[in-house]
Amino acid sequence: MTTTDTGSEASGPEASAADAADDAPGPTDGAPSPTGAWPGGVDHKVVGKLFLLLALLFLLAGGVLAVVMRSQLAGPDVDLVTDRSYRQLFTLHGVFTVFFFLMPAWVGLATIMVPLQIGAFRLAFPRLQAFALWLTAAAGGLVVAAPFVTRLTTGWALSAPVPEGRRFRGDGYDLLVLGIGLLLVAMVVAAINLIVTVLKFRAPALTLKRVPMFTWSVLVSSSVLILALPVIIAGLLAMTVDRHYSGHVFNGFTGSRGGNPLLWPRLFWFGAYPALWALLLPALGVIAEIVAVFSGRPLVARHRAMAAMAAIGVLSFAGWGSEVPSLERARPVFAVGALLVLLPVASLMMGWVLTVVAARRDRVRRGTEGAGGGSPNPSVLHALGFVSVLAAGLGAGALSALNAGGRLHENYWAVGQQHLLFFGASTIGLVAGLYYWAPKLWGRLLPPRLGALEALALVGGVHLAFLPMLVLGLQDMGVHLSSYPGDDEWQPANLVATGGAFVLGLGALLVVLALVVGAIRGRRAGDDPWGGHTLEWATASPPPPHNFDSMPEIRSEAPLLDLKLAPPPPGPEVTSRTPVGAGAVS
Amino acid sequence: MALATTSPSSTTPAVPSPAGSVPAVPSAAGTEAPTRRDPRSPNVLGVLLFVVADAMALAALLALYFGIKNGSSRWPPSGVSVGTYIPTVITITAVLSFFSAQWGYFSVRRNDPRNAAVGMALTVIFGLAIANLEWQAFVRAGFSVDDHAYGTLYFLLIGYHMAHVLAATVLLALVAMRALAGHFSASDYEPVRAVTIFWHYSGAVWFAVMTALFLLSRHG
Repeated sequence: MTTTDTGSEASGPEASAADAADDAPGPTDGAPSPTGAWPGGVDHKVVGKLFLLLALLFLLAGGVLAVVMRSQLAGPDVDLVTDRSYRQLFTLHGVFTVFFFLMPAWVGLATIMVPLQIGAFRLAFPRLQAFALWLTAAAGGLVVAAPFVTRLTTGWALSAPVPEGRRFRGDGYDLLVLGIGLLLVAMVVAAINLIVTVLKFRAPALTLKRVPMFTWSVLVSSSVLILALPVIIAGLLAMTVDRHYSGHVFNGFTGSRGGNPLLWPRLFWFGAYPALWALLLPALGVIAEIVAVFSGRPLVARHRAMAAMAAIGVLSFAGWGSEVPSLERARPVFAVGALLVLLPVASLMMGWVLTVVAARRDRVRRGTEGAGGGSPNPSVLHALGFVSVLAAGLGAGALSALNAGGRLHENYWAVGQQHLLFFGASTIGLVAGLYYWAPKLWGRLLPPRLGALEALALVGGVHLAFLPMLVLGLQDMGVHLSSYPGDDEWQPANLVATGGAFVLGLGALLVVLALVVGAIRGRRAGDDPWGGHTLEWATASPPPPHNFDSMPEIRSEAPLLDLKLAPPPPGPEVTSRTPVGAGAVS
Repeated sequence: MALATTSPSSTTPAVPSPAGSVPAVPSAAGTEAPTRRDPRSPNVLGVLLFVVADAMALAALLALYFGIKNGSSRWPPSGVSVGTYIPTVITITAVLSFFSAQWGYFSVRRNDPRNAAVGMALTVIFGLAIANLEWQAFVRAGFSVDDHAYGTLYFLLIGYHMAHVLAATVLLALVAMRALAGHFSASDYEPVRAVTIFWHYSGAVWFAVMTALFLLSRHG
């Protein structure tokens, strides 16, 4: 076996952060220093972990709010919170979980894993990612402060019923709008950084077709985010002008002094609908990695899977109008878009099934079927749970699209469907990724038994909490109701959903517990405990500050699998130096 | 560490990889993929992506403008007189700044720091002039931001462009000073290129804003 040495050119931790931040990629570039001008430094692994920490805090906060809301709806005429307080709860719950949990969480995991997966020693702009992190933290502070100033009752889409309405008055809304705006700016900045990193910092021979599925999903997701989020930012800017300078963009109605409040939901959903899909895409990437690695073979029809992910990114812009009530006549057109975007997701799932079937056939052929055994890996359990939630979400989404302009968009069906598809599936995918990449994040394995219990609670909680909401949708329960009379048929499903929310809350607590226990006392992981296929498994666990000391030969999309299946024949030592993490190839 | 390494001159067999780790092989050998470096640098690609994101925000503001305009029976509202003098002067200045910015950029590429600094300084002056003209467009509009939707969007869109021009002017002033200090050369001009791209984008923003506010509106 031959090796490649980066020799003195190997980027050492002593190299300056300034070099790393400013210079174009090259063999002599330094690695980012673990410390720097920003608190926590500019090392992408540290920045990513801080993103994850921030996101988990908001998950817990949003989860507590959800549990209170569900407790209010557990039975008829429960008087736990007032109607206005209830509206405040669902406003903050939506803002916390969508904007401040899902977005920073995926950006955080991508910030850690993308450079490792592509053989880079840093992000393209390390300081910019640290800036995005602390901007996110500041934005989170503003949003947390907002309810202490004004009772916020507009919903997370800031449109109940329209932004110029009475409910939209008070200084707290300024904090909310500013907080969301700054968070979105941070996400756009981070997404740009991730795209440039993937396009410019890939290891030699790692062509774009060969990048790992998670990296590809991040590339597509980030592309969607930089196209979608600025639209919401522009809307928030116009809203601020309306609020502070008595402007007339969303205020008033066309015909008097102008202005059209109905434009806000159109603008918001044009950005938010693709952004929700962009938050599911990395989860699809994580599960694709897990399916391939634990099947012990590359994904079946991998390039088709990549095309499917790209198709999700494109088609995510086609269905936004299905969520806008004022677009009655155009809704059937958008419904087609909302239906079409489900097809590539279904094709991805089909690819995973075919991969597992092909792997089983391989084992039968080799006569190793039934070998191994033992308890299933928590990553695999989460992946199975993810598939079950995704399937339910796809089914609900398809029925919702077919019911264009119908009640399923106005009642609890929409809540259940969006929670299954975008919250449930995305969150389970994220946790699966944390178990899978824990060796690279902390150098340790997360506790498997606790992981199994947590997977059960998380996946079971998602199903128990959100499937009854579909039933409530069929029973036409309104979305924003804070209570209901005892003679309604809604009580049984509400009770089950509330029980599910508690189970889901328990799952979230177990996730935090598993992360704390695993990161501190977990079993030390080897460099490649799962028999990984991609480059992150070719370095130490946890990786050094400069990520890689040397790089395996890249002959396909699974360079490490290549080595295991067909090790290169022994030959003369190669003495040429290979720039680790050097510039990209097209 | 996952990978056993040897020094570049070593001829000894590689250390067998420990359990659970992966042996390393030379990454230079057998790579069938091209090793061509993309001529666009990370900074330039970053700016291009920022421009794409920013253009989406501008498109959203223009969508608001045309959404409200199309729903109005009279646009701009009665009593609003949209002049052509200031927008015409701004447009001419923006066109001139395009050439001066390119002059600075090409001078850097030709290793000519003096001409580069002059070209960029001229562009900075044009930028300040555009910002001043836009301020005049605010002061002399004859209506204010809270009078009607046209007024709000007028201030919003021109203000949006003004913010871009001022940001581009500051960035250009910084790279001009660096050019004078000899920080750039024919082989190292990435920041100049990135800032010049942003400058040209701010010019494109003006053309979009001008088309919406002035060309597609009745003139007084």
